Amino acid sequence: MFTLPQKESRKPTTCPGSVSTRGLHSIYGDGLEREAARKPDQKLLYGVGDPTAMFSSDSPHLSSRGSIIKWFWDSAEEGYRTYHMDEYDEDRNPGGIINLGTSENKLCFDLLSRRRPRSCVDVGDSAGPHCEGILREEVASFLSFYCKSPAPLKPENVVVLNGCASLFSALATVLCEVGEAFLIPAPYYGAITQHVYLYGNVRLVCVYLDSEVTGLETHPFQLTVDKLEMALQGAISEGVKVKGLILINPQNPLGDIYSPGELREYLEFAKRHALHVMVDEVYMLSVFEESVGYRSVLSLEGLPDPQKTHVMWATSKDFGMSGLRFGTLYTENQDVATAVASLCRYHGLSGFVQYQMAQLLRDRDWINQVYLPENHARLKAAHTYVSEELRALGVPFLSHGAGFFIWVDLRKFLPEATFEEERLLWRRFLENKVLLSFGKAFECKEPGWFRLVFSDKAHRLRLGMQRIRQVLEGKSQVAEDPPSCQTQEPRGPHR
Amino acid sequence: MDLLCDLDELLIFFGLQMPDLHNEAKIRDSTILKIPLKFTESVTLSSLEPCDSTCMIAQWLGLKATPDYESGLDIDLLERLSFSAGSSQPDEAHMSIQSRSNPSDIPHMSDGQVWDQAFRNHSIHTCLMEMVLSLQQAVADHITQLATRHQQQDLVPEEQGHNQPIWGQEALLGRLMFQMVNHLQFGATGGQKFQPPCPSEDSKGDVRSREQAQVSKQIYKIFYQLTNFEDTSINYVLSNRGVETSALYHGSFQDYNTYQGNKYHEDKNTSGFINLGTSENKLCTDLLTERLSRSDMNYIDDDLLQYSDWRGQPFLREEVAQFLTYYCKAPAPLDPENVVVLNGCSSVFSALATVLCDPGEAFLVPTPTYSDFVFSAHLYAKVDLVPVDLESQVSTGSLPLLSPSRNEESRLGSFQVGNSQVVFIFQVSDANTHPFQLTVDKLEQALLNAKLEGKKVRGLVLINPQNPLGHIYSQDSLMEYLEFAKKHSLHVIIDEIYMLSVFDESITFRSVLSMESLPDPNKTHMIWGTSKDFGISGFRFGTLYTHNKEVALAMSSFGYLHGISGITQYKLHRLLQDREWIDNVYLPTNHSRLQEAHRFITNELKSSKIPFLSHGSGLYVWISLRKYLDPCTFEEELLLHCRFLDKKLILSCGKTFMCKEPGWFRLVFAATPLLLKHAMQRFYTVLVEQEQDWVVKQLEDAINQEVEDLPASDASQSYSREVILTSGLEGCCSDLGL
Repeated sequence: MFTLPQKESRKPTTCPGSVSTRGLHSIYGDGLEREAARKPDQKLLYGVGDPTAMFSSDSPHLSSRGSIIKWFWDSAEEGYRTYHMDEYDEDRNPGGIINLGTSENKLCFDLLSRRRPRSCVDVGDSAGPHCEGILREEVASFLSFYCKSPAPLKPENVVVLNGCASLFSALATVLCEVGEAFLIPAPYYGAITQHVYLYGNVRLVCVYLDSEVTGLETHPFQLTVDKLEMALQGAISEGVKVKGLILINPQNPLGDIYSPGELREYLEFAKRHALHVMVDEVYMLSVFEESVGYRSVLSLEGLPDPQKTHVMWATSKDFGMSGLRFGTLYTENQDVATAVASLCRYHGLSGFVQYQMAQLLRDRDWINQVYLPENHARLKAAHTYVSEELRALGVPFLSHGAGFFIWVDLRKFLPEATFEEERLLWRRFLENKVLLSFGKAFECKEPGWFRLVFSDKAHRLRLGMQRIRQVLEGKSQVAEDPPSCQTQEPRGPHR
Repeated sequence: MDLLCDLDELLIFFGLQMPDLHNEAKIRDSTILKIPLKFTESVTLSSLEPCDSTCMIAQWLGLKATPDYESGLDIDLLERLSFSAGSSQPDEAHMSIQSRSNPSDIPHMSDGQVWDQAFRNHSIHTCLMEMVLSLQQAVADHITQLATRHQQQDLVPEEQGHNQPIWGQEALLGRLMFQMVNHLQFGATGGQKFQPPCPSEDSKGDVRSREQAQVSKQIYKIFYQLTNFEDTSINYVLSNRGVETSALYHGSFQDYNTYQGNKYHEDKNTSGFINLGTSENKLCTDLLTERLSRSDMNYIDDDLLQYSDWRGQPFLREEVAQFLTYYCKAPAPLDPENVVVLNGCSSVFSALATVLCDPGEAFLVPTPTYSDFVFSAHLYAKVDLVPVDLESQVSTGSLPLLSPSRNEESRLGSFQVGNSQVVFIFQVSDANTHPFQLTVDKLEQALLNAKLEGKKVRGLVLINPQNPLGHIYSQDSLMEYLEFAKKHSLHVIIDEIYMLSVFDESITFRSVLSMESLPDPNKTHMIWGTSKDFGISGFRFGTLYTHNKEVALAMSSFGYLHGISGITQYKLHRLLQDREWIDNVYLPTNHSRLQEAHRFITNELKSSKIPFLSHGSGLYVWISLRKYLDPCTFEEELLLHCRFLDKKLILSCGKTFMCKEPGWFRLVFAATPLLLKHAMQRFYTVLVEQEQDWVVKQLEDAINQEVEDLPASDASQSYSREVILTSGLEGCCSDLGL
């Protein structure tokens, strides 16, 4: 999906803080605090999201939550709408926008459409409130196989809905009361903010990660239990009740993969604090570097707290079918499974899509021998191309051989380390007909990071990289000029 | 002592008092209330500690307490919940405690205190609480009256019988109790047969050992055990709303799931369930299957597999706009930008309720109404529905309440059922020219009552053609409702999901989109889907048409959560586009098959003299089985429903439509003739059994009465008590229009 730009939502500094980081909540709010952000000894460790703070003006026709919901939509729209009005097409619109912002795998449509699903029409009965049937069995056996679970997974622990967004919404609703929160390491896939808020009215507490490697850390943006503890304690000190931890593995946008050891540490941390852990493994089959050694949480023997460990997967990424709307939850907790299934009435998917999904997941031969090897080879080729281009441009980036994206460090192209500048750069890319996602949309605390999606056809990728190069080469000259007065730009909701 | 007996009957009535705590006579007394014994027995099979449930309910009533606690619950709780019924009368409750002759009737008080604590800290399940509180109120009033009477009797011992206010109050008690029992048993289980709940863990031990915060969950737990919530192991994993969601779901869809597990099949499973409860059109599956199997449907494109516009694929929204322009006879072409496409009308309603209302705000809805809206409004959106109760009786005058004083009425005016606010409307002047007629007066009255209740009403929900009544609103009345809404600046949500299922050609259906000038176009929102009109509920497609761009945009965010597969969107687009097939093949065939099925069913019903309502549209008839209920209560309605289930026939009972009058059922006739024939056989078998049982019951009652009368030491008093209670109930029934 297209990433979601979000306005600053820190609390004002007026609240008395017992924690040393308290004074820094509105770090990027104005010039003065920006100053503070540069001091190396003071770091922003966490932030409690509050969507209600982002929008104030009321509409005569909408409820107050309706206004916030509309704001979510409006703010996400700028890039997306611009893109849709001017989509690149090789023949019809060669000057159109290349979308390297939406995380979709566009490399394997030929494989998917060649595997034509047998048509089956059964319109007789509705799918019913439960998304029932053979599909859940297929999902269980599919996940057992690909997640390498020590014991076969059980169909009754599977819930099927129309996408992972719905799953986040449903889980937030059944696990949290209104106003409670989940921890999430940031940068993260920003749309989750909206998913848990829309119906669930649940907030996210960001565990801010750093690009700088300090102390015992081994790589940038490393998640450690210490950071989780700090963020949790910080949230508690603000009176926010934290009910769970969201992990994305392989991580989006970092492309990180958590080792089994790390994963276990996080799970132990959650158990210590009686937190639920939602592990989003939507990129689990898109690990294209064999050497990475990805392990699903379902493959771990003896989970610390299996009753509070919930795993999500979908076909959107791994099978490049984001338009199909299929997502699934695996949880050993029957109460959670039942409660989420209770909401299936609102997140159902067409009966015949369920049927086709079952057919697809069952086709192990095709997946193993045709689809996955080919998909991985193509991803790898695209990745190689883009990373070489970036190296040639002298642009630092992070990528770990998983996912569809590279986390690009364009900080040196910002005249000033602000999110305004980040946004201006993003707009410059868009004006030059290439759509990227900026770091703020992922709640990254350092301005200047961008997510670049490489899982696209070679010709589009080439053109896209060309356009990026144009902007950066123009931009890098600008960067040497004295900073302009652009920081004066008002900070209203982004349109 | 008379007073205490009454209190114990209350507890028995709830089925929460264990029989072994009481002597036989009291239980027999309870039958005076005409409670089916099946109910009492089943709940007392509960493996709960008797003291738990007894204490629980007793404390709610504020009537059982130890001396060190007596001043605690009532006042605090009333304040906390700001229950505004005026006098909380803790003194009377206190008095009743004092008047208890046997302190050993108060077991396990420590548990009780824990409960009390739980309620102080967590106003969970407030609806039920408030119902209990209003019941408490009524009981307290009743006690006052009785106490006064005792005093009067002391003065004038020869006076026998009850005076008018006491009669009224007992009727009121009966009513409140019905509401509560219906809620407990019916609201939460939605018509599943009573079964002994599964063995529970040691709930008492848990309560003692855990934090107060968890006690509230424990209360849920006990509740759901009492109400036969399937999963007894509610742990502390879910949020309160999660627990509630599960329970609501289990309650509402148990029948459906049972049916899914054992469907009737004419060859393979002739003893399976026949479902005439779910409104689905199964008459044209052959046509649809053929159409959807044509080659144009199997198109797959990159675009369909990718993220698209969250409002729905542009090609589909375009098609929907054209389709609605044509079939709704819109005066001007409808704008695709105003179309939002989601996975089903439930989702559309849920999302719309969310963007139009904040939690706790409300919509007016004429009842009986489609039950799913009740569910959808509550589940995610937390929006209340304020029923505009319609009456079956065609009349020009009012139905007087039994209750003697206006004061009594106003207190009864509202309380909560389920999690929706229910407002009783004491209709006075409105003329009902046809059954269940909706008038602006009724709307005004309901709105006024809701306002008095402090409810913020944001909109009005209309279904046209109506479900379950099958009504079609004339253009004039529709305009009146819209004007009413405009006057009070309410949104109007019109669900026209049966708009193409108007099979009687003599009837003209006018869509709200066909109106030349809407009173308030920015607040008029129309919902449609293919589930009913095309009989493809499994497709999951619902659409909103609104003139309000802001609403359309806000709704778009929900595309993330209620999106439809691209390939489904494509198929729908092809289907809706094929105007020729729809006009020349599908609609004529569908209508003639519906007519045929309708004729069959109505002839059957006429020949068996079962009153019904049907207006040539929709997939169902609304039938009255009131004459088979004795007494005519929701309790009996549920039992009859269970009888149908026993005979593997699923119907929907009126209660699920928030119908105010017990005894109505919705029967879906859009099924094949063979299936209908089988279904009707089962239907008649049940009704015959029901009649036979009624006769047997009458005889037994007569015998019991004689037996009871003979050995009674104080025959006259027991007789008078019976008169009070039974007449109280009859009062209820007559009040309900019977």
